[in-house]
Amino acid sequence: MPQKAVPSMKSYLFGVTLLCVVLAAGCAHKPAVVSDPASSAAAPPAQQVMAAPKAEPSPPPSPEVSVKAVSGNLDDYQDIEDPDKGKEVEKVTIADPLEPFNRAMFQFNDKLYFWFLKPVAQGYSKVVPEPARVGVSNFYTNLSFPIRFVNSLLQANFAGAASELGRFIINTVWGIGGLLDPAASKEIDLKKQRADFGQTLGVYGVGQGFYIHWPLLGPSSPRDTVGIVGDIFLYPSIYLGPWEVWAGARVYERFNDTSLRIGDYESLKEAAIDPYVAVRDAYVQYRLNMIKHKGGPPPPGVKGLLENN
Amino acid sequence: MHTKTLKVMVISIIIMLTIQGTAAASGPFGPPQPVSRPAGGLHTGFGYWLQEDKLKDNNEEYISRQQQIYSELGYGFQKNWDLYARVGLSGLKLFDAFSPTTTATTTSKNDFSENWKFFTTLGAKGFYPVHPAFGIGAFVQGSYYFSDFTDNTTGTRNGAPFTIELGLKNLWDVSAGIGFQATIPWGINLYVGPYVYYTETKVAPSANITGLALTAGETTLKNNTVFGGFAGIDAPLSRGFRLQIEGKYADRLSGGAAITYSY
Repeated sequence: MPQKAVPSMKSYLFGVTLLCVVLAAGCAHKPAVVSDPASSAAAPPAQQVMAAPKAEPSPPPSPEVSVKAVSGNLDDYQDIEDPDKGKEVEKVTIADPLEPFNRAMFQFNDKLYFWFLKPVAQGYSKVVPEPARVGVSNFYTNLSFPIRFVNSLLQANFAGAASELGRFIINTVWGIGGLLDPAASKEIDLKKQRADFGQTLGVYGVGQGFYIHWPLLGPSSPRDTVGIVGDIFLYPSIYLGPWEVWAGARVYERFNDTSLRIGDYESLKEAAIDPYVAVRDAYVQYRLNMIKHKGGPPPPGVKGLLENN
Repeated sequence: MHTKTLKVMVISIIIMLTIQGTAAASGPFGPPQPVSRPAGGLHTGFGYWLQEDKLKDNNEEYISRQQQIYSELGYGFQKNWDLYARVGLSGLKLFDAFSPTTTATTTSKNDFSENWKFFTTLGAKGFYPVHPAFGIGAFVQGSYYFSDFTDNTTGTRNGAPFTIELGLKNLWDVSAGIGFQATIPWGINLYVGPYVYYTETKVAPSANITGLALTAGETTLKNNTVFGGFAGIDAPLSRGFRLQIEGKYADRLSGGAAITYSY
């Protein structure tokens, strides 16, 4: 069974966003603002949130700042050799010129989650047993195969693309159309890739820009927002016909995923001194890790928490 | 013990070979022993099956050919019980269904043919291991086709043109049999056995054309003799996958292959 990601507001609120945006746009087939499972706004890991720095009200002057500090092997008291001290410590932050707006949207998304998404997802989980919900999640994950496959190819991650292709074939044929995930079994062990178009842009050197916390969608950046649009066209359900069909399918997917993660976001909030900053920094760190690893396994400490596609 | 096992196997093969029939059942039966893991659990499969039968109504006999692809989901219980279901697509060809029986009638084609109709199969099997390398099992399975097969042709009757549509409705079959299984090195299972089988379908023509036998009115096509024999091999591949190759012979030969995965 797949490891589910820690929730992000983007993930939780995707469905409603989709519906609202489509309704607002009034265009049946124009995929306005859509986040897919491979979208850039991934869930922030709990560990990272707990370790996140305190809130910084004013954004850094540069659009994207990467600070690397290399220290000696002595500890803070300069007397005991610390083996970890010699390693490169990397801290990544992002410009946040829209912080007042972003904080407002963070609060909006937070309330929407607690007042709407969570109650609905809880009711859904009472009616539908967990194995069935996991099967639905597997199905949607299998459906988003083109996003991971194409972006793996675009990133010249051919091993990852082959792994994705193998996963898709095995899970479709022997996994009852993707409801089961035999490719993830210990015997087959084909790893799901973490690849999306925003990540692809990052691999080619496009910077994140500044931080945006979209209403309903959650954490993002200009680069990852563009990536979302690119991924839309690789998601098969948008070709299903009437917009009600694929919008409904995507909203249902988000409710289903939320039902499998109830409690994770609450834990994240409780663990963070400033949840907004924690989510922001975790998001930036997570995206950087994704770009560095090009869809490979998550780095130590976050394994299994961040996969969202 | 080995001598006794060998005798049972030889007798089983003789029984199978001496049984004569004119029909073969739809889809593979698989090895008597469920392919699920010993402790039980799910298994899935994907297969292809080429089925040939002789179907008869009161007057004529027709050869039918079906090509099926299917996906299978099964659940094996402990003590070698297994339930399985298949969903697939099938094409059907009925040879000489439009062949004229008089010279005054001509048609643009002789064979009835239509592709890609959904069908489902449900089955159950039980297995009793007589010996670590030999066991006996029994099974029952049935298939139903959700959609009707239809085809049409044009022709002339005494110089007058006509168009006729033929429908094959409510095609179903049911099979039951006994399988004998021997396990040889490398975990390969060989199996053989006899089975009984019944199938039928209603023939519904859109009009009555003199000189076309199947258009005389609604009739039922069914297999005449119900006995057949099957044999197959079930071999482990790697990483939980298994390959099954099976053949059946009654009046005509049918066969196919499937790859299964055990969870």
